[in-house]
Amino acid sequence: MSTLKIENLHVSVKDVEILKGVTLTVNEGETLALLGPNGHGKSTLLAAIMGNPNYTVTEGSIFLDDIDVLALPVDERSKAGIFLAMQYPSEIPGVNSADFMKAAMNAHREKPMSLFQFYSKLQGAYKEMHIPFEMSNRNLNEGFSGGEKKRNEILQMKLLEPKFALLDEIDSGLDVDAMQVVAKAIGEEQEKGRGFLVVSHYARLYDMIHPTRAAVMVNGRIAVNGGPELIQKIDTQGYEWIRDELGISIEKEEQPMNKVSIGVCATREATKDK
Amino acid sequence: MDITLVDPKERKASYLVKEGESLTLNLALFDVFSTFEIDVDVERDAHFLGAVADFASGEGKFILNVHLKGEGSSAEVHSAVLTKGDSKKVYETSVYHEAPHTSGLMSNYGITRDASRLTFSGVSEIKKYARSSETHQAAKIIVFDPECDGKCQPILNIDENDVVASHAAVVGKLNDEHLFYMLSRGIDEESAKRLITLGYLKPVEQYFVSEDVRKKIDEAIEGGI
Repeated sequence: MSTLKIENLHVSVKDVEILKGVTLTVNEGETLALLGPNGHGKSTLLAAIMGNPNYTVTEGSIFLDDIDVLALPVDERSKAGIFLAMQYPSEIPGVNSADFMKAAMNAHREKPMSLFQFYSKLQGAYKEMHIPFEMSNRNLNEGFSGGEKKRNEILQMKLLEPKFALLDEIDSGLDVDAMQVVAKAIGEEQEKGRGFLVVSHYARLYDMIHPTRAAVMVNGRIAVNGGPELIQKIDTQGYEWIRDELGISIEKEEQPMNKVSIGVCATREATKDK
Repeated sequence: MDITLVDPKERKASYLVKEGESLTLNLALFDVFSTFEIDVDVERDAHFLGAVADFASGEGKFILNVHLKGEGSSAEVHSAVLTKGDSKKVYETSVYHEAPHTSGLMSNYGITRDASRLTFSGVSEIKKYARSSETHQAAKIIVFDPECDGKCQPILNIDENDVVASHAAVVGKLNDEHLFYMLSRGIDEESAKRLITLGYLKPVEQYFVSEDVRKKIDEAIEGGI
């Protein structure tokens, strides 16, 4: 069984420290729900694990078993078994979706697949994600709706078979039907024993994928670790009780909707003018 | 009618597309790039399609002037250019609308590598009496290496009010977000550039008539990466 171990992780974006010592462990087979108010570092943690160059790790470590993840370039992290389903997947003009998937899948194996093998896998995955197969001939994410982009992320996760999948608000922009498709696909991967680190603001997704544990990130640190009952508590009570029960004051209140809403990265917004 | 030229020795050519006819000109350069000059006159209700795939090395100017002389004539020009090493290429493709109801479309895609230079400068000109004409041009260059350079200078000269015109020009480095997205799927940087190069240069193939030339373009794209 593999373990993803994050210790005392400090991460800055444009010299603003967002993560201030995160310690967190996820085992293969576990699904950890990562909760917390907007702008407190959830997405930053996922981006830093994957190695987004806009996020600078200033201290701490990330290990996948005995592999020093921080020492690896981004593509090697993927090959080591880490997958990030992004909140805002890039639209990449000119790059054909099927060519892209073939390159990605072949990068994960020693010998390239036969065309037949590739197409049957690809076709199966499109069917399962309820995406018309014709879309594999389109440019990557270009002109895809929000929901199509998210389903396309899960499709890639299925095809790349990571040990650990980091899902950053995979449910935003999904309607109820698409949500069910995504939750079902996640469920199948859970059964295969993969580890999940899931960020979402909605209990609806968590109800469908049944996390085994939950953690709450406040002020760039993990404030509370617990079982799935934490999700219910936060869904009904919000984050106020953390201040009252644990004496942690929430430094930055949740931003009003007009500032940070769907389509805006809270961390980017917070560091904008600094 | 279609004409296919692969690394032609003759550097100058002119064509006349007669009333109601259509001409497809396929020009593929794999070898040495130097100065080319092509003139095309298009008569009433005639159509010209030009496609250029250029993987050659060298220095020079590629000049293509299309004159839409007859009412209802139209032209489209598509080019895909790769520059490598210390090549210096200037593309001047122009469409002159000299009669009413003419339409012109130009799209130029380029990839620059190493210490090479590439300029796309094109004029779309609509003369005073060429009413109800439509002209569009787009140029896109991706600059892969720090030493190379790309320039787009699209020019619209319009002397008539009743027209539709647009131009777009983009010169950019490989976008960091795009690169991160591809790397995060296990694709290394060279392969990511390869995919983008394919995306920029391969679409021109659809305008080439000869299967053999299309294959050679494929090979040149592969070899150029």
